[in-house]
Amino acid sequence: MRLTALDEKALGLGLKRGQGLAEAKAMCPDIDAIKAEPEADAGFLNALADWCSRYTPLVARSGMDGLFLDITGCCHLFGGEENLLSDALARLAGMGLSVSGAVSHTPGLSWALAHYGKAGSIAERLVDPARAERVLSPLPVAALRLEADVLEALSKMGLRTIGDLLDAPRAPLVRRFGQRLMMRLDQALGREEEPISPRLPVAGLSVERRLAEPVGREEDLLFLAGELSRAMLPMLEQRGLGGRLFELSLFRVDGAVFHVHAGSSKPLRDPRRMEALFSGRFAALKDELDAGFGFEIVRLSVCHAEPLEIRQMDMGAPVDTSQTLADFIDQATARFGADCLLVPVLRQSHVPERASAFLPAQEMPVRAVSSIQSGSASPFRPARPIRLFRYPEQVEAVAEVPEGPPVQFRWRRTMHRVVKAEGPERIAGEWWVDGEEAPTRDYFRIEDEAGRRYWLYREGLYEREPGMPRWFMHGFFA
Amino acid sequence: MADTALAQEKLFALRETISRMEGKTLHRLDGGPKASLSQDLVRIAENNAASPLPFDIPPLDRVLDGGLPRAGMAEIRSGELRNAGAATGLALSLCAFLQGHQDEADGSPAAVLWVGERTVAREAGEPFAPGLRDHGLMLENLVYALPRKLEEALWLAEAGLTSRAFKAVVLEIAGNPRRFGLSESRRLSLRARHAGSLLLLLRQGGGEEAGSTLFRIAASPAPSGFYRLPDGSLLSGTIGAAGFSLAVEKSPKPASSPLSQAMTIEWNAHERLFHEPEPRLPLYRKPAAAAHPGADLSASSDGPDRKEKMGSVLAFSRAS
Repeated sequence: MRLTALDEKALGLGLKRGQGLAEAKAMCPDIDAIKAEPEADAGFLNALADWCSRYTPLVARSGMDGLFLDITGCCHLFGGEENLLSDALARLAGMGLSVSGAVSHTPGLSWALAHYGKAGSIAERLVDPARAERVLSPLPVAALRLEADVLEALSKMGLRTIGDLLDAPRAPLVRRFGQRLMMRLDQALGREEEPISPRLPVAGLSVERRLAEPVGREEDLLFLAGELSRAMLPMLEQRGLGGRLFELSLFRVDGAVFHVHAGSSKPLRDPRRMEALFSGRFAALKDELDAGFGFEIVRLSVCHAEPLEIRQMDMGAPVDTSQTLADFIDQATARFGADCLLVPVLRQSHVPERASAFLPAQEMPVRAVSSIQSGSASPFRPARPIRLFRYPEQVEAVAEVPEGPPVQFRWRRTMHRVVKAEGPERIAGEWWVDGEEAPTRDYFRIEDEAGRRYWLYREGLYEREPGMPRWFMHGFFA
Repeated sequence: MADTALAQEKLFALRETISRMEGKTLHRLDGGPKASLSQDLVRIAENNAASPLPFDIPPLDRVLDGGLPRAGMAEIRSGELRNAGAATGLALSLCAFLQGHQDEADGSPAAVLWVGERTVAREAGEPFAPGLRDHGLMLENLVYALPRKLEEALWLAEAGLTSRAFKAVVLEIAGNPRRFGLSESRRLSLRARHAGSLLLLLRQGGGEEAGSTLFRIAASPAPSGFYRLPDGSLLSGTIGAAGFSLAVEKSPKPASSPLSQAMTIEWNAHERLFHEPEPRLPLYRKPAAAAHPGADLSASSDGPDRKEKMGSVLAFSRAS
């Protein structure tokens, strides 16, 4: 076991990263060692990244200990770069974190300054492009985010600061240390673009409200959601869009961030219906949404939007049921999840259990009003039961060998005498799915003495397929 | 004389009050001139409730007070879970019947919400789309919900009714749960009546229980009819239209129509209509060898002309 991270006090004691735990304990018997949890660290960093989205939607993680914030176009909201940086550092320090930061025109330069810059005033951490080379040259080469072996080779060559590299000719350096060194240097100076990959997709539209006094009651949050929806309305109208997926981000005072998603089955713009969606979601979340000391920022974003055509209202027409149906589906889905409301659909398969599937009602496209009379039990179509067992249940049947219908069968410990039987309807397995060895099934419609109608099948054929045929119950007819 | 008239007037006033509370139309039980005192009330009540859909089966229409109500709560129960097929079939037939009439009326499709129950889905199977289509339901207008708890099921049924998106809501419950009592039943029935939709309470494997339903029918399976051939004759030994045996346990009009014995009706899925069973052909006690109508499938193996194995066994063939 080795030390992976140390706090300031431990560093002061002379312990080092990578040192064995036994050795460290021998040096200082009363140190407190905690087992490293990389996943928990990553989770914490993600939570911090969410918190940082109060400054800009573009937040990316950098390794295990840093965050990149693309604040292009966001600074003026916080009174300039200096105010933004000092605000962020002060708030993070308030949470008990020791953080350093820098603002520059490239991610590489910001990283170098944040990690290796002199501790000083905030103003020294703000670098405009003209000063980039001057600021970068006194920093050690490690500030260029290079691999350990390259760093070692550089130090053997006596190249200690970035200034040494800037002065040296490029071609020999590339030949000796590879392309990567120069690429990092160019990235830091802005000669080469370096994209950052934001952790969360950026919402197309978002509206937020910062509160002077934190709120925690559900009614207040719903009211705020309604207010934000109303503020969102002109933006959606201007673009001719309606939202399909909304996200309400709640920033708690202590730094925790909650995201509440609500989907809609049709493009949606009406603030009242958006509010109703979130009221359903809040009812479903209950205790998961812990308000603590309250929320200070509430933001509503549209994650997914679709064009929404506007239709003239018709005073005389009856109520449009497709709209009320969509409302009901949205409400129920917001409350119970997408797999609660289902729509049965037919699929192209002759194997019974694959012929029917359930799709979440919210994902179904708007169903066209069909004028075709679909309710027809054509005599040319084989009859199918109305209820089908997900797993067929085995029965003991007495039947004529090889291919006769059952005369009587025992199912769930009850004997049923067969009065009428129709069949067999032979259904072979789908060789492109089940393989060629799949047993054939012979289905029979059975009516017993009481008039109950069952769908029984024999799996396997006598003599022609391996294994003894067995009988199964697969469904109920009306 | 005057005393009896006064008593009758009082009695009628009481009946009137009860009918109003139950949201029913008033019936002139005695047919006398006294009933005309509240004729305007009768008219109002009749205007409020849409007229029921007649089944065109006189005994059933009589017991159910004119046919299938378009608004309100009705209960269909199966005594045992193995009769779930019949109870489900009857409830879905009623929905399809309603859908068929809706189509004729204004062409707009009547959506149906089916709130399922997990125990029943496990014990009696899940809805099967091809079978539902064969049964006469329009699949495009069917939404199936599978909630986890009874409270969720009640919420879904109530929200479905309140949204007015559905012409019929089927609420399936297993047995007689304690948390579905009189107050829940009353609440749902009021919602259904207010929304103008039909709520079918489908109680699978449960006993009789008091509730605020318009009527309660115990459904059990009945022998099916036969296929009708193009020339009009019936083909014996076939399983044709699904038969249901109905015992009306609670009727909207108990005073004027004594509860009858169980009656049998059949569902014609093609026409989406109920009809009374036709005169029966003698049943087969034992199924014939080739049971499929008209199909002479010969046994594909074990025929009489199977060749004898020749020679002696040199090596066994593979067992699998």
